[in-house]
Amino acid sequence: MLATLTAETEADLIIKSQQGDRNAFGELVRHYYPRVVNVVYRMCGEAALAEDAAQEAFLRAWLHISSFRRGEPLRNWLYRIAVNAALDILRRRHEEPAEDETLQMIPEQSLGPEAALIEKERLALLQQAMRSLPEAARSALVLREYGELSYQEIASVLDIPIGTVMSRLSYARNRLREVLKEQILQAESEYV
Amino acid sequence: MCENMPTLLNAYLDGELHGQRRLEVEKHLVSCTACRNDLQELRTVSDLLRAAPVPAFLPAERFVAQLILRLNAQDAALQLPRRALRDRPPKPAAWAGWLVPAGLLGAWFFLRTIFMLTTAISAADASGLLGQAGAWFTGGQSQAAWFVAITSLFGSQMSAAQQSTLSLFNQVSVFGGDLFSGFLWQAVVVLLYWGWLAAWWFRRAPQLVNVTAAPSQS
Repeated sequence: MLATLTAETEADLIIKSQQGDRNAFGELVRHYYPRVVNVVYRMCGEAALAEDAAQEAFLRAWLHISSFRRGEPLRNWLYRIAVNAALDILRRRHEEPAEDETLQMIPEQSLGPEAALIEKERLALLQQAMRSLPEAARSALVLREYGELSYQEIASVLDIPIGTVMSRLSYARNRLREVLKEQILQAESEYV
Repeated sequence: MCENMPTLLNAYLDGELHGQRRLEVEKHLVSCTACRNDLQELRTVSDLLRAAPVPAFLPAERFVAQLILRLNAQDAALQLPRRALRDRPPKPAAWAGWLVPAGLLGAWFFLRTIFMLTTAISAADASGLLGQAGAWFTGGQSQAAWFVAITSLFGSQMSAAQQSTLSLFNQVSVFGGDLFSGFLWQAVVVLLYWGWLAAWWFRRAPQLVNVTAAPSQS
């Protein structure tokens, strides 16, 4: 649940942060942390890595808060830093990501053992499919699906033309569609 | 139209198509079953992605507390590079402003040293300490070589006015030669002395700096 933060309050907190007020910056972090960690989690596919990437992102944000231009959406600025931090962490990490804790979190009691196993497999496949996407396409897709940014905002965050955003999203979704064909059929049959 | 549809369908799905383009896609979807199926599959992919659960991350309060601790540690660590930056020697551009006064001071000191040396040699020569060598130090010639050659060859044919003019040129030449040769060797002596001083300083400077810096590090 995100705490409410009015535009005036946010602007005030930004000014104070730029003046070196750590408590004000802490307030901003408290507000944006759930969104940022969600985005970097979708980039990394692993909770521990995501928390590290989020820490790294907010550290960088603190170091460069003076360069933030007031009036721009802080969320988009943070997403840009967060995506870069996540990519840096992934590049530093050479080995294959470990199995994510999310898979252990599927509640067996509510689904039953068999359904829980199927759900785990489905999630694992989804995460694998996400990881198989090229970084550029994955960044655009994550910002769209989990960051809930418009195409124009994604273009601004990733510093690419809007046409490139469209082609990257199209590539990413079509690639996932091929990989997840079976799941899609199953999901569609469930909807019917 | 189906060729361009993948990109357009994604944009349509995301609500990023407007006006005429949106109407065209909607019209196409009515008549094209394949594109309708594609759109449905893309929508399902999007739904699957959004429905994927997230793990229980660190609570925001704990995350912020950890972050503030790291900020404090980082700020403390940044103090060292900042101090190192402050203690770094100034850039060449910063030296440019000092070049003119430093150059003038150096030139003044250079001339003063030469004059002091000249005075000392003159005093030594006057008191007879240099003996025959005094003439060499102070420039003992009274006639230039070219003057001797001209007067020996054409001296008998020259008028009195020509001889006096030639004599004047000879005096100027001898004076200039004495001045130049006297200045030149003294300048060489001064430069050699300064070079030796500079070499001594650069060899000893690191040790001197360490000795003076040691107390401030404790």
